[in-house]
Amino acid sequence: MKVTVCIGSSCHIKGSRAVVEQLQDLIAKENLNDKIELGGTFCMGKCQQGVCVTVDGEFHSVSPETVSSFFEKEIKEKV
Amino acid sequence: MNDLTCDIGYKSINHVGEQLCGDHVEVVEQEDGSTVIVLADGLGSGVKASILSTLTSKIISTMLAAGLSIEECVETIAATLPVCSVRGVAYSTFTIIRLIRNQTAELIQYDNPQVIVLRNGENWEYPRTETTIGGKQIFRSLIRLQEDDVFIAMSDGCPHAGIGMAYNFGWKREDIIKFMEAMSLCGYTAKNLSTLLVDECNKLYGGEPGDDATSCVVRVRRRVPMNMLFGPPSNRDDGDRMMSLFFAKEGKHIICGGTTSSIAAKWLNKPLRASLDFTGDIPPIAYLEGVDLVTEGVITVNRVVEYAKDYIGENKHYEDWSFGKDGASLISRLLFEEATDINFYVGKAINPAHQNPDLPINFNIKMNLVQELSEALKKMGKRIKVSYF
Repeated sequence: MKVTVCIGSSCHIKGSRAVVEQLQDLIAKENLNDKIELGGTFCMGKCQQGVCVTVDGEFHSVSPETVSSFFEKEIKEKV
Repeated sequence: MNDLTCDIGYKSINHVGEQLCGDHVEVVEQEDGSTVIVLADGLGSGVKASILSTLTSKIISTMLAAGLSIEECVETIAATLPVCSVRGVAYSTFTIIRLIRNQTAELIQYDNPQVIVLRNGENWEYPRTETTIGGKQIFRSLIRLQEDDVFIAMSDGCPHAGIGMAYNFGWKREDIIKFMEAMSLCGYTAKNLSTLLVDECNKLYGGEPGDDATSCVVRVRRRVPMNMLFGPPSNRDDGDRMMSLFFAKEGKHIICGGTTSSIAAKWLNKPLRASLDFTGDIPPIAYLEGVDLVTEGVITVNRVVEYAKDYIGENKHYEDWSFGKDGASLISRLLFEEATDINFYVGKAINPAHQNPDLPINFNIKMNLVQELSEALKKMGKRIKVSYF
């Protein structure tokens, strides 16, 4: 599974760093390191909905507050 | 003309408790490509010394730049400077470094510590001729410039550093030479070399300088071109034109901005890989084959502008960007240390997502950043060309 987080200007200001760090923690905690490829990308062109995250190409709007529920629903269950 | 250029930088610290510095450095560029640098040290410290040294350096640099002889300069100074009521003399020592078309350096020294010249990283005792002008003993030298030559001019506050505290007789010339030799070829800029020297003096003084201390460094180096792309073009159809002009240029290539780097990646037909290494509060950098550095845009460049403004002023943050691994530090090192001629390719496209009033980034800020950055780089002595798309 490929998870990509936008690290462009807008998403950076909206907290992409916190999102990446929480995702890295959660993935490590669940021992999913070999199943999930976490990557970064520059602007996805949907800055209004940032922080922009894609899971296998499917778009999601995430914020530092919603990371854990997003992880449970969209990553852990589907992996 | 050759392809050498002179990187000039200086820094002063003030006598403890004084708001003004009694040393003054003046740099004047002439139309024929020559540069006159004057470091003057006024008698005493504080306001009086500051006036004496400012007048001396301004008079000499202006007169020399206008083609008048050193004899006339010295006579003018002797006749013009206000006489000190305590000591009954008008007095300011000076060192002149005149760089003639980046080929020759003329040194004219009056009573300041002798200019140190490092050639290939080692001290060189260059020939000096003694003359007497208006009762003043003046040493003159003519030196043919070579790449990597480093000239270090100082006020006597430098060799006097640490008298009675760290050292019995101050920081000796031989020791200053050893200190500077070790760093002269590491790629430090003139400004950073002078800062390192003066900061060391400040340490030897125990943070309470007993005299104003100034150093001015001239570093002879080869011209290095560099190119920086910032922002997508306002008209989408101009993308290809902008890219082909940018990539056709000699020298390293830096790209700032997410959308901009995507356009470049498409043009180069190579994958753009963003890293997730967060160091500090600057967004991570990315990698793109054929480009030397890819970073995020506004936030990174904003930090570079902050570093640039500090660098031309007090130079307090050089340790941050000299060693940092974030995008802003990497750009700063390339632009401040490595480049001498910088071409900016600035796209004027408006990112609709950035026009949100909640965000501290918008189009005007972006254009201001380019302006401020190129102003600061010009003050560092670099040649700047900005093209808008």
